[in-house]
Amino acid sequence: MASAAELQDSLESFAESCNANERLRVMNRDWNRTIHVHASDLGCDFTLQSVSGAVSVQSGTAAEVSMAIRATSDVLTEIFYGELSPNEPYNDGRLRVQGSENDILHLDFITAMLWG
Amino acid sequence: MGGCHHSIVARSQPNSSAPHPLQACNMMLWPDACRVFAPYAGGMLTFMRSSLTRILSLAWDSLECSSWNPPMKKVVSVSLGSPDGDFSREIDLGGYRVSLCREGMDGDTNRAQARIRELDGSVDAIGLGGIDIYLYVGGKQFVIGDGLRLAETAKKTPVVDGSGLKNTLERRVVRRLASEGLIGASSKVLLVGAMDRFGMAEALVETGCECVFGDLIFNIGIDYPLATLGEIEELAEKYRSRLLTVPFHLLYPTGASQRERKPDPRFEKYYFASDVIAGDRHLVFRHMPERLDGKGIITTTTRPSTMSAFKLAGVRWVATTTPEMDGVSGGTNIIEAAMVAVMEKKPAEISAADYSRWIEKLGLDGAVHFLEG
Repeated sequence: MASAAELQDSLESFAESCNANERLRVMNRDWNRTIHVHASDLGCDFTLQSVSGAVSVQSGTAAEVSMAIRATSDVLTEIFYGELSPNEPYNDGRLRVQGSENDILHLDFITAMLWG
Repeated sequence: MGGCHHSIVARSQPNSSAPHPLQACNMMLWPDACRVFAPYAGGMLTFMRSSLTRILSLAWDSLECSSWNPPMKKVVSVSLGSPDGDFSREIDLGGYRVSLCREGMDGDTNRAQARIRELDGSVDAIGLGGIDIYLYVGGKQFVIGDGLRLAETAKKTPVVDGSGLKNTLERRVVRRLASEGLIGASSKVLLVGAMDRFGMAEALVETGCECVFGDLIFNIGIDYPLATLGEIEELAEKYRSRLLTVPFHLLYPTGASQRERKPDPRFEKYYFASDVIAGDRHLVFRHMPERLDGKGIITTTTRPSTMSAFKLAGVRWVATTTPEMDGVSGGTNIIEAAMVAVMEKKPAEISAADYSRWIEKLGLDGAVHFLEG
């Protein structure tokens, strides 16, 4: 089990990687989304925001979200550090993502561009 | 469908003007027979001549059956696409009669799998439509997980996805269009998906066309045009693991979604800025604006209704990359399946050079339709 601080750190690392990638900033320029991240074992929540190509992280939940991601803290931490492809836990049910198919595909594409 | 078209499909027939062997054999054998049997009655000679004629005639008929009239090859394309595009045709492929049948499964993977299982061992080759098994980008092979799982359902009959022809015939068609002046160094081309048609992408670049590759636009929905083959290769490499696992219907319209047209104001600019729009027909249609006046289209899987829609939009010409078959151009998968049936080789043993040689031998080519007037 990862700690809440470790999970937040992984999310911030993800946001930094997105923001540092010039091509991703352009690709995300019209992808304005609010993503709720929930660690099921810790019971804690974070919010990832993508606005005009810039990604940021806040703790807590936003009033309106476009997508929701739910998994244990260690799965989430590994995914956002780029150590685990989201496909594997998604396909075996450890990772649950709610949202439109297009948004899920877009978010997965971002992780593929960052870490392959 | 208005306008005119030209099409080149090999229809080499067995050589029907070849002399019947009886003529030659009688000339050689009859005098010898006369000498041997001269002491006997003429009735005996008549009987022998008639017997010899019968034997040689039967031998020739048997020779004709085995060498000149091979049994009809049966090929079925099992497509995840809509059944609206179903067709059946009998074609002559270099002297071989081939029965082609396209069956749309309307996006139902389980149904497609059941149909492949049913056909396995009872047809000469199966084409897999509406999905790829492999992508060939920059000399590397990339596997589409959903496509490979479907193909592996067949244990006896070869299953092909058209990637062999995309890598060979489509290059040839692009070069021909360049030689005919329909595309050239000044042409601006939108290729809706280059990972799936890297051969066409390379041929367009070789021709000097200014290309926009729309893989991210049309497959992922991201407004980011790619401009170089290097970017396509990089994208394929980064997306390699996803191709194995992402459900294919998220990347490509299957079933009923093929009928949906979703003009997107973000993407219209790429159509308007291009002289030619190339690539998969469903992707071309997906975000197509109402008007495409004076533009050219390079695609496949066209039907009379497709041509009418392009004509209505003001398109000047449509080039299909597979042969014209009475108003229909089949997907590369069904034509490749027909070739594999005729070649009688396992797909894994067929190289790009083999495909090119057979394309040449069979005289396979696409067709150009001018829609004006």
